[in-house]
Amino acid sequence: MSEHHHDHDHPTHTHDGKPIQEDPLPPIEAQILEASVRELLIEKGIVSAEEIRRAIEVMETRGESLGARIVARAWTDPAFKEKLLHHSDDALLEFGIDMRPMELCVVENTEDVHNMVVCTLCSCYPRPILGIPPAWYKRRDYRARAVREPRAVLKEFGTVLPDSKQVRVHDSNADLRYLVLPKRPEGTEGWSVEQLEALITRDSMIGVSDVRDPAESGA
Amino acid sequence: MRGPQDYGGLPAGPVDPVTHEHEPTHWEKTVDALMMLVFDQKRQLARVDESRRMQEALGEDYHKFPYYERWLQAVTWLMLEKGVFSQEELEAKQAEVRARLEAERDGA
Amino acid sequence: MEPKYKPGDKVRILQRNQPGHVRTPIYVRGKTGVIERIVGSFPNPELLAYGHTGLPYKMLYRVNFRQSDLWDDYDGPVDDTLEIEIYEHWLAPA
Repeated sequence: MSEHHHDHDHPTHTHDGKPIQEDPLPPIEAQILEASVRELLIEKGIVSAEEIRRAIEVMETRGESLGARIVARAWTDPAFKEKLLHHSDDALLEFGIDMRPMELCVVENTEDVHNMVVCTLCSCYPRPILGIPPAWYKRRDYRARAVREPRAVLKEFGTVLPDSKQVRVHDSNADLRYLVLPKRPEGTEGWSVEQLEALITRDSMIGVSDVRDPAESGA
Repeated sequence: MRGPQDYGGLPAGPVDPVTHEHEPTHWEKTVDALMMLVFDQKRQLARVDESRRMQEALGEDYHKFPYYERWLQAVTWLMLEKGVFSQEELEAKQAEVRARLEAERDGA
Repeated sequence: MEPKYKPGDKVRILQRNQPGHVRTPIYVRGKTGVIERIVGSFPNPELLAYGHTGLPYKMLYRVNFRQSDLWDDYDGPVDDTLEIEIYEHWLAPA
């Protein structure tokens, strides 16, 4: 069994520079602790195995597609978009989502402004919409640099923005959770909601990249 | 004084979405689910704020643990603090689980 | 509960030397920004973190900063901004 090092994470590359697949299991002590805590909580009637199974199932249904549906709806329905921007609780209820007591703050990308979201203090994220945050979002590198050098970080995602466009970083440090509403791309007039949804990526709703290029979508 | 979690503006390395991205593993999803249930409205057992405070209490060790192992550590301490289980119960359970996992591994 | 500040007000983030769990990162302390919106009132996370009820509620705001005011070496256009949520007891008029 390989050694696990905890400098900041598991070893990420082999000697010849190839990225290692993340191991599916952590070190044995962490496995033992997790199983112990879980079994004790079940034995004491605090949680049930069924509830855990169900919670994982719900988590797996969330992700890019729900966020994409919300964005595509905002692109095609101006009244919904207004609701999403100013009364997000009501807008989310239309999709069966209730995030209270937290509130969703939707920030709109425009010709002039590009929004980007980070949680410097931990990993706050609009989980009821986007599911589990990506590993890079939780790491020190993103949390430290997104607020201080957002344009350099955006470049690391392949996103280059002109100086004429303002980059606005949102540090999600309290009771709001943030979703970027990307700009609807040119050349999508008359597209169906499903075609539009296929353009919208999780990363565009975090604000580290733009939506997929309609010209490359093959639609 | 800067807490260990207060990363904003500190020097750091490149953000590497290729290497630092993976499908959440089943183990991670289980820890995540356990946490969400422990903090939920039904149980009112603990607030996520308490778990953040626990992680911050790790001090320099905050940086040593990968994300989910850190949360797991925090939730364990919270459960001990609230008397949900005792240190003795935890140690007994860990011994039982260790023996079981070792038997599975040796039997494989 | 009446908010002390309104959108457009210039505010300075206090340099509180407060032990324990806080949600005001170091990088904004001592800096001046503008109230972007009143978010609403919430239980105080600084107390929630210790199992307290978090009452009385505290007023929360979003504050907008110019990046060039936050970082001496900000390497981007002067219009770039950052927005963050700050509780009223961390604010003073600027």
